Amino acid sequence: MMDRRTFVKLLAGSAAALSLPRRARAAQTASRIIFFYFPDGIPGRSADGMPSQWHATGGETSFSLPDVLSPLQPFKDACVFFNGLSMGQADVGSHPGGAKKLLTASDGGGGESLDQHLARTVGASAPFRHVYLGAMANHNNATGDKHISYVGPGLTTPPEDNPLQAFSRLFAGSTPVGGGGDMTDGRQASVLDAVLADLNDLRSGLGGAEQRKLDQHLDALREVEKRVKGLGPGTGATCEMPASPQGVDSGKLYDAAAFPTILKAQIDLLVQAMACGLTKVGVIQASHHTSELLMSRFPGTPMYDPSFDMRSHQASHYGARHDPGKKEFREYVAQRKWFVGQFAYLLDQLKQRPDGAGTMLDTSLVLLCSEVSDGNTHSHDDMPFVLAGRGGGAIRTGRLHDAGGRRHAELLTALARAMGENISSFGQGGSGPLPGLLA
Amino acid sequence: MRAVLILCVSVLAACSEPPGSASNEGVLRYGELCASCHGQDGQGLSGPSLRDWSRGRDELVAIIDARMPLGEPEKCTGRCAEDIADYILAKLTGPITCEGAVAPGARKLRLLTRREYAATVADLLGGGGGACPPHRFTYTPASGSPQTVHVAGSFNGWPQTIAGGGWPLKESGGTWTLERALPAGTHTYKFVLDEKDWIVDPANPNRQSDGYGGENSVVTVACQAGGLPDVAAKLPVETRPDGFPFDNEADAQSVTSVHVEAYLAAARELAEGPGRKLSQCAAGDGACLEAFVRDFGRRAFRRPLTDAEQARYRALAGTDPMLAVQAMLSSPHFLYRSEMGTAQADGTYRLTGYELASALSYTLWGTMPDATLLDAAERGELDTPDGLSSQARRLLDDPRARDAIGRFALMWLGAENVLTADKKPDLFPGFEALRGALAEETRRFVAHVVFDGTHRFDELFTADYTFVDAQLASLYEMPAPQGSGLQRASYAGAPRSGLLGHGSVLASTSHSDQSSPIRRGLFVRRRLLCQELPPPPPNAGGVPEVDPNATTRERFRQHTDNPFCASCHQYIDGVGFGFERFDAIGRFRTTENGQPIDATGDMNDVERLGVGTHAPFSSLPDLAKILVASETPKQCFARRYTQFVRGLKQAGEDACGLNPIVERFRASGWDLRELMLAVVESPAFVVRQ
Repeated sequence: MMDRRTFVKLLAGSAAALSLPRRARAAQTASRIIFFYFPDGIPGRSADGMPSQWHATGGETSFSLPDVLSPLQPFKDACVFFNGLSMGQADVGSHPGGAKKLLTASDGGGGESLDQHLARTVGASAPFRHVYLGAMANHNNATGDKHISYVGPGLTTPPEDNPLQAFSRLFAGSTPVGGGGDMTDGRQASVLDAVLADLNDLRSGLGGAEQRKLDQHLDALREVEKRVKGLGPGTGATCEMPASPQGVDSGKLYDAAAFPTILKAQIDLLVQAMACGLTKVGVIQASHHTSELLMSRFPGTPMYDPSFDMRSHQASHYGARHDPGKKEFREYVAQRKWFVGQFAYLLDQLKQRPDGAGTMLDTSLVLLCSEVSDGNTHSHDDMPFVLAGRGGGAIRTGRLHDAGGRRHAELLTALARAMGENISSFGQGGSGPLPGLLA
Repeated sequence: MRAVLILCVSVLAACSEPPGSASNEGVLRYGELCASCHGQDGQGLSGPSLRDWSRGRDELVAIIDARMPLGEPEKCTGRCAEDIADYILAKLTGPITCEGAVAPGARKLRLLTRREYAATVADLLGGGGGACPPHRFTYTPASGSPQTVHVAGSFNGWPQTIAGGGWPLKESGGTWTLERALPAGTHTYKFVLDEKDWIVDPANPNRQSDGYGGENSVVTVACQAGGLPDVAAKLPVETRPDGFPFDNEADAQSVTSVHVEAYLAAARELAEGPGRKLSQCAAGDGACLEAFVRDFGRRAFRRPLTDAEQARYRALAGTDPMLAVQAMLSSPHFLYRSEMGTAQADGTYRLTGYELASALSYTLWGTMPDATLLDAAERGELDTPDGLSSQARRLLDDPRARDAIGRFALMWLGAENVLTADKKPDLFPGFEALRGALAEETRRFVAHVVFDGTHRFDELFTADYTFVDAQLASLYEMPAPQGSGLQRASYAGAPRSGLLGHGSVLASTSHSDQSSPIRRGLFVRRRLLCQELPPPPPNAGGVPEVDPNATTRERFRQHTDNPFCASCHQYIDGVGFGFERFDAIGRFRTTENGQPIDATGDMNDVERLGVGTHAPFSSLPDLAKILVASETPKQCFARRYTQFVRGLKQAGEDACGLNPIVERFRASGWDLRELMLAVVESPAFVVRQ
């Protein structure tokens, strides 16, 4: 286990190892991006045509938030709310079909997701290219289509559901390489050299799919090698090593009552890792689509009801109309508002940390998303995205953005641009970045 | 070669092309909307075969227009229905054949699963191959000379006869002996002479009352795999594709930096812990280090090291043997098992003897090959069908095969979720303490059927017994068993039957606070019959709210009252309602909310969806009888086991390759052990392209 002093030295040391001055960041580029996912959609336009209870109403700059989004009221100026953003009609009506398109903008999950793309490109200079944290996202042996991060076409990767394990990887150095625990240890470097040599031997002459499998393995090993050997560019940041997550019991990762604690711990970890410059790309996945999560067991929340087990997915099928007399609908609205509250907590944590002349919220991009729009109709239109953070000035915030039915591929393209990744399009169905979003 | 009707799937070159022609649109729409149920070649999968359609074009168009795809008829009407009907009639009718050799599967590198990783490091570092040494039973008759002697005990279900699963001793020089590995724990047993006289083991002084006025011999096996840190728990979970119940899909796993770090950390923890003791070499003893690297490397990589690898790891070992151990445990040669093979003259690839040794041991044991298996590979014995078969049979006789089939069964049934599924504490107090035993019950039972019982598939469902400890006996309202741990016990007239009565299955197919006829119906359709149904449509409505005055069955009535719901739920609810006498954790009940439970069900269309057969039943034993009277669950099981062995979702869809396996399974009277042998002795196990 590494002590705090070592940790500070690691960050400083890795910066020093890079003798070149840090490349001046473009004035209007975001420093980091976070994707925050919650399951089973929102109370959108109902099956019998009642208007959405999620989407903001009003003009571009003068608009009001519905009750479900009220936790975002303090951050309204730092957000963009969307109306009329579509994921297209492939697999429409399907939870997995929506999850596959969500961050890939590719039908059937047939492409890399934006988080992985950015990790590989603009995020590759950070010690950890990608940090993917979950809260009960692997519960009951969740299938791959329940995870939203695609390392390649059709290929998801599972999130880390245990905050203690995530802490250990990012900070504690209980792993040989996590957080650079052994950067100057020649013995560990020699182990890596042998493994790299084996991997290169095995790769040669494979061809095809197995070659790609090992290419990816090699890429991952190279990322770790940079950390172990201290070859990577440093972050320049110095930061204090955070305390280990509190109140998390590794034996109760799938106890619904522990979910709020786990999710908060994961948010805290990601914000701390980013404050320390350890990563630029983070994904937080709260549960997974068609969620069995018993939100009625969350202590101290409006949903708490020990007499009745209410699952997220069960509540989402509240019926054909918004009927406040129906328990499922009332609970569904309360659950969604709770998730928005967790997103607001994430924004608040970013806002409390200074970065340059402002706060980390000013220099970040934070995207709230779910795999369907209305939880009952499973619509893939009018998707419930909310973008927060000014992205270092890249994003025009404080607005209600009417996308007029344009595809979310354009939103993802715009986010890539805001991160300094100059691509013309991402995924399918869009053409260029979503007009009017970038400053 | 004999023509085989309707069993040819997918686009294998070996399968003959159906004659005729049709519009491109029909092909595309068929593939998109129909093939998942009716098969790429119309041979029928969960839906009926189309190849013998004889009712004309108009009726076919009308059915597609009005009813297809199942549950979503609006997806294809008018022109779409006509295009598809024309394609079916032009291309997919008439017999099809599997001719010549089956096209081999692709070459693969298969990442070890967490369970395989854990078992492998236990074997590698736990010393002596990892497994507990076998127990030796010895019997020397004081007088007389029996014709047969067998062991019957708590570990094999007390069989009266050898055919019934008794473990026979072999006679040599007047002494009868048997070496057999036993699971850790305390067991009771007797010797049975000539299948009629039950006696205690005279050589074993440890005895306890048998509850019938006599005594049983007692043996305690204390050996545990033991002492290793549980590093596998820190590895990332496997990715399971939808519809593939196992943890080992070769193409679904991708190694990220999270994996790499976890592997490095685990390797270091193991190397610096138990790995420290592996090398006994004195510092600077080069010959000793050379041998250490060669021997440990051969076990870790499951093949001899190349010269370059020997040099690479010898150099590390020169600094510290622990580093060589750590690096080997982090190496792709350790983390993946290779099924790449070597090129043959005919352009295919054949797995090497060492690759086959790993394929056999990970399939049948869930862990690395033992020394005997590696030596057999080295001598080239696995390169012949007889040599491979003889090793496969040896592996099946080892207790590790019992562990492996038990783990397979939990995944096949989805019953592993009993370990994690939420249950409402006030409704089901004490359930937390039962989870482990419920999973173990299913593992033990399946292993017992395969290795000790009749070995027949039918027994999985028709057995009138299971394995319980005192707690499970209480849950099942059965008398508490003698002895500690799980013991074989009769269901004793309770309306349970084989696996259908297991709490692991019943709890995994329920919600936290109520049973779920839907999940149970789908369990039978998908898991047992390989019959796929589409996911519920949007706006389907959730589970009807719990009603304190109604039974679950009453709440779900709308599924059958509403014709739109009924198009799919006719295949789900009627089966699931038959489980209603069992609550959300598998307790028996006769009333719900004060109302009597109607547990009649209909196992309709057991052979294929849409055929229109009915099979009413009113208890799980009756349902079991209906299931085992059909070949569909046996074919489905063969398909699932093949998918598991190959670690590929599409492996089970290759019916031309599956057919000979099913035929051998059938010819054996559906003997599960024979199925396992059929899969590992099949060409698809050995040849790749």
